[in-house]
Amino acid sequence: MSKSTAPKKRWLISQAELEAWLDGIANARTLIAPRQESGIILYRPVAKSGEIAWHGQTSRSAHGGRPVLSVKEIFFPPTERLFTIQKTGQEIRLKETFPDWETVVFGVRPCDARGVKLLDALFLDTNPVDSFYARRRGNTTLIGLACKELGPTCFCTSVGGAPDDAQDVDIMLYETDGGYLAEAVTEKGRFLIPGGEWKETTASPQQSTYSGQFPVPEKGKWPEHFNDEYWAKMSERCLSCRACAFVCPTCRCFAVRDELVKPGEFERIRCWDSCAGENYRLVAGGHRPRAEKGERLRNRFFCKFFYYPEQYGLGAASACTGCGRCIEVCPVGVDITEVLMHLEKPA
Amino acid sequence: MYEPRIIAFLCSWCSYTGADTAGIARMKSPANIRAIRVPCSGRVSPELVMRAFDQGADGVLVLGCHIGECHYDTGNHRAAKRLPILRSLMTFAGLEPERLHLDWVSASEGERFSKIAEEFTGDVRALGPVHWRVNPDRKQVASQMLAASREAIPYPETDCAAKTDAIRKKARELLANNQVSCVIGYEVSRRGRSRPVFVYTPEETGRLVWNPDCTNNLTTYLPARLRPIKGKEPPKPVAVVVKPCDSKAINVMVAENLYRRDQVYALGVACEGIRCPDGNLQTRCVTCQEAVPIVCDTLISGATSSFIPRLSSYAREEIAELQDATPAERLEFWLGHFDRCIRCYACRQACPMCNCPVCLYERDDSTFIGLGIGLNEKRTFHLGRAYHLAGRCVGCNECERACPMNIPIGLLNQKLAEEIEATFDYRAGLTVAPSPVVTILSGEYKEG
Ligand code: SF4
Ligand code: SF4
Ligand code: FES
Repeated sequence: MSKSTAPKKRWLISQAELEAWLDGIANARTLIAPRQESGIILYRPVAKSGEIAWHGQTSRSAHGGRPVLSVKEIFFPPTERLFTIQKTGQEIRLKETFPDWETVVFGVRPCDARGVKLLDALFLDTNPVDSFYARRRGNTTLIGLACKELGPTCFCTSVGGAPDDAQDVDIMLYETDGGYLAEAVTEKGRFLIPGGEWKETTASPQQSTYSGQFPVPEKGKWPEHFNDEYWAKMSERCLSCRACAFVCPTCRCFAVRDELVKPGEFERIRCWDSCAGENYRLVAGGHRPRAEKGERLRNRFFCKFFYYPEQYGLGAASACTGCGRCIEVCPVGVDITEVLMHLEKPA
Repeated sequence: MYEPRIIAFLCSWCSYTGADTAGIARMKSPANIRAIRVPCSGRVSPELVMRAFDQGADGVLVLGCHIGECHYDTGNHRAAKRLPILRSLMTFAGLEPERLHLDWVSASEGERFSKIAEEFTGDVRALGPVHWRVNPDRKQVASQMLAASREAIPYPETDCAAKTDAIRKKARELLANNQVSCVIGYEVSRRGRSRPVFVYTPEETGRLVWNPDCTNNLTTYLPARLRPIKGKEPPKPVAVVVKPCDSKAINVMVAENLYRRDQVYALGVACEGIRCPDGNLQTRCVTCQEAVPIVCDTLISGATSSFIPRLSSYAREEIAELQDATPAERLEFWLGHFDRCIRCYACRQACPMCNCPVCLYERDDSTFIGLGIGLNEKRTFHLGRAYHLAGRCVGCNECERACPMNIPIGLLNQKLAEEIEATFDYRAGLTVAPSPVVTILSGEYKEG
């Protein structure tokens, strides 16, 4: 990723200024931000900054203020209508409905933003371009919020990220004493910043603190583990639900189906799907290419560290952003960091 | 005046002919009724009724032969059990109960048919249009009901070392004697999380632990492990660590012929309750009525078993609170919650009772539900699942615990459990018996 060498523009703002700014954004376009809902935090449209869950810790998400679902759901929603099909007599008409609202997402953590960047590789940078994803991506500005430290399940620093990594957002906010340091990362971000109102500064953001990085097996080393007995063993407890994939910022499998809306009208929808589920890739005749849990979970991990990076030219980067959500939600304690450590150094 | 759309499922032997009789006698029947001819009222599965409402029906009428006159003997007994349960479930989810009616009409009772049809149509007309079907573009509203009603009960400190030792000792013995092929228990991960573990050799038994975070219901792993596979040796028995609530699942599964009782060795732990990540007792434990496993081959009890005080029954209070609300409020409550669902199926997969080879709500050819992760589909899935658990759910509440989206799905199951206890004086899993909702016993239905 190319980084501009020109010094970044930064501003020092107070909490009140930040809130006033967000209120202004919410008035003009759709503002999506972490919001508390029935005991969990989710990215949801907010009407004013007062609705934002700033640091709320909930029983489900230990990492302060971070939503259970990643920001992926905004660009790649659980269900998307691709087009409608109308049939009158002999005539068949297809109609696409594109999303066309301008959106600003506030409070995006660096791992989530990295997730979006990684999804770009498939949806934007590889032909055919996904027009739904592209519209949403083009119409959305990401305002990042640096984490001061790692949450209990976070391991972004082991997979090439950092809690204060500003690369993948449009504007980055760093908490400072008595306020925030705002940094315009992209042109799009710069555009959103109120020109003269904010006080410019030359200060640099304070670095976040972290430790506990562990080595992650390189891409080239994965194929030799394909036939390890380990996969059958580690996956024994897996329930084959799909929670891990649905909360993941980069899992992007989907199923497509035509469904009846009313007589004469159909819609083609695409919905989240996951290789962890038993019926993934079920084909006519009842054959399931990955019938065993071990094969399915292996696929999920290979996809993150080998298949996807290999197929979409991520270089040495992995498709895992280290957010740790899968660890948080897995009902039976399957832990991706354990897998990585095992492959690095089998116990 | 609003003219409701009513779907009537009519048994072809009796009420469908009854409707004909009414027509031949030139009796008036409301034009609102769309009759669907079914071979027997026992054919009317809850999915059909729910589908009718999902598609916009204002009312559903089910008519069968009088009790004792079903041409398939007990088809109408099924209907007589199913539909009231379904009605209470749908009512709990926000439907007005008057919109679903079950009655009996014989082939000659033309007059009775018109009267029932007339009255039912009148009742539904008075209620006005149904609000059940949701517009897919509906803006979600988070429900504020029950927001803070659960009082937290701290977990009582207990000594788990003795139980851990007892589990390890017994597991070692079972494996060494070749009595079981595997012990399913709990271990603590590197991260400090308690989770399921599968132990195959006496040497590995040191991994087994007992602590207040052993939340999983491990019986959920049993059916797949004990299922005989064609052309392979019959599977060897398996030992499993169970809490009192978990143990009841074994009774239900044995009753449903998923495996035989002698294929399972139950290491039953006397339980002081399990805690949530925030340190408080889980809801299921507060309302739990057993302290010692119902199904148990060896009882694992600590030196000082101080059973938890059952301080309140707040799940009951929540159910009562919801029941006192208006149907519209209940509808909003559930839609608000279901809206968050992502259809990940963690609830279903964690559930020991959800063990169909392919879930009805995940079949590609399902006519009852679409593929979408939309509100209609999610509600259909949840209500359908709750219905399928009626009389089978043992209340381990793992579905709710496993849900990443904090959806109070357990309330649906508890509601039906209460309903079934009141109707059949039956609680799932106390004995080896299948659900009374699906079994037929002669003379068990009293008319009137
Ligand atoms: S969340 Fe856990 S149990 Fe569910 S599919 Fe993923 S690894 Fe398996
Ligand atoms: S676990 Fe929760 S989110 Fe997943 S399908 Fe069940 S209710 Fe929905
Ligand atoms: S045949 Fe009429 S209800 Fe069974």
